Amino acid sequence: MLSLLAHPRSSRGFRAVINCVAASRPSSSDLPPRGGPGPAERRPSRAGPPVRVVPRRSYGSAPPAPGCWRCGQSHAERPAFFCSGCRAVQPPDGSASLFQVLGCNHSFTLDTQQLQKRYLQLQRTLHPDNFSQKTKEEQEYSEHQSALLNRAYRTLLKPLSRGLYMLELEGMPIEEGTDSAADPSFLMQLMELNEAVEEALTPEEANRIGQDTKVKLKELTAQIDDALGKGEHQAAKALLIQMKYFANIEEKVKEQLDKLM
Amino acid sequence: MAMFCLQSCASPLVLFGRRLFTPRVITHCSYHKKVVDHYENPRNVGSLDKNDQNVGTGLVGAPACGDVMKLQIQVDDSGKIVDARFKTFGCGSAIASSSLATEWVKGKSVDEALKIKNTDIAKELCLPPVKLHCSMLAEDAIKAALSDYRFKQRDKQDNGVKASITSCSATASS
Repeated sequence: MLSLLAHPRSSRGFRAVINCVAASRPSSSDLPPRGGPGPAERRPSRAGPPVRVVPRRSYGSAPPAPGCWRCGQSHAERPAFFCSGCRAVQPPDGSASLFQVLGCNHSFTLDTQQLQKRYLQLQRTLHPDNFSQKTKEEQEYSEHQSALLNRAYRTLLKPLSRGLYMLELEGMPIEEGTDSAADPSFLMQLMELNEAVEEALTPEEANRIGQDTKVKLKELTAQIDDALGKGEHQAAKALLIQMKYFANIEEKVKEQLDKLM
Repeated sequence: MAMFCLQSCASPLVLFGRRLFTPRVITHCSYHKKVVDHYENPRNVGSLDKNDQNVGTGLVGAPACGDVMKLQIQVDDSGKIVDARFKTFGCGSAIASSSLATEWVKGKSVDEALKIKNTDIAKELCLPPVKLHCSMLAEDAIKAALSDYRFKQRDKQDNGVKASITSCSATASS
């Protein structure tokens, strides 16, 4: 980390990373008017009928450009990061899902090591540091691509965000607001768990709750994998909601451990 | 040079990635001082006896953010809310909303408390649009507590009626 900050080029790189993270929640006004909702692609799920990928978030309203902005050559594959002809960096393809961006199968089971490898591979080529001597347009496109990679990696790395994203792609996001159908005994259980974390007086006590929560999260991950694999999205949604509550408890355990240690 | 920089940056980038992308990253948002006040000096934190016939318990959850909120009211014989407690596990706005809710229900009748709207809570705490759902959660918690109280009262009445029928038939048969 120190070497990252000491090197003058690195500090620019570091700032660019921070900008990328900050920019990784794109608003349509920031981005070039390209890559809108394109034709939905058919991707087979692990088992069952083909899953229709309808991207919920797209980077603008225009359809994705058929070819390179500089030389006009049509793209060999999608999403195209660089032109196959003139090698110019391309703006993000708004019709691509985050799975496609990082070259993963559209499925809940993911090899996170492969994901990380692919993410780093792509960042090495797309990072804005590589474009400091290029045109303003290329710098802008590389920043947007880099931010998109950050967002894709962050979303797909953890099972909870990955699952929630998959539901979004199915047009079933978890709405804000109270869950009127919630099981009162489940909410009571959550309340008691949260209270237990708050009242933990020793790190061992907090850790015990943490371990139990980890086990529960692992169970839920397996159940969600099963449900999504079978295309049972409603069931997966209910499980992901449970997972969200337990993930919050896991966070609270970490905070409590920080306080106690 | 850039490649070298990137290669040496790559592994710290992952480290950075983990540190930067965890939910604990503080983004550029700030809470209104009223929210901070309720967060640092919450009013009426705690629990009432949920088995008490005059206590209504409302337990609600918000799945999108994983917040859980419990709000309890104690009602006297004239139907006035004499005490209220809350416990909320969630963001500052959710805690402030429920803290304010317990302040507002005290001294009100059950019917008056039903009129408390999330928009009033949000206005009082100057909640930004992104946190409006927290005030909604508080309103739902109040309604759930009132509903629980009403349910218990109906139960009490039903039991009272059953008891009087039983005693009447016992008197008649003797």
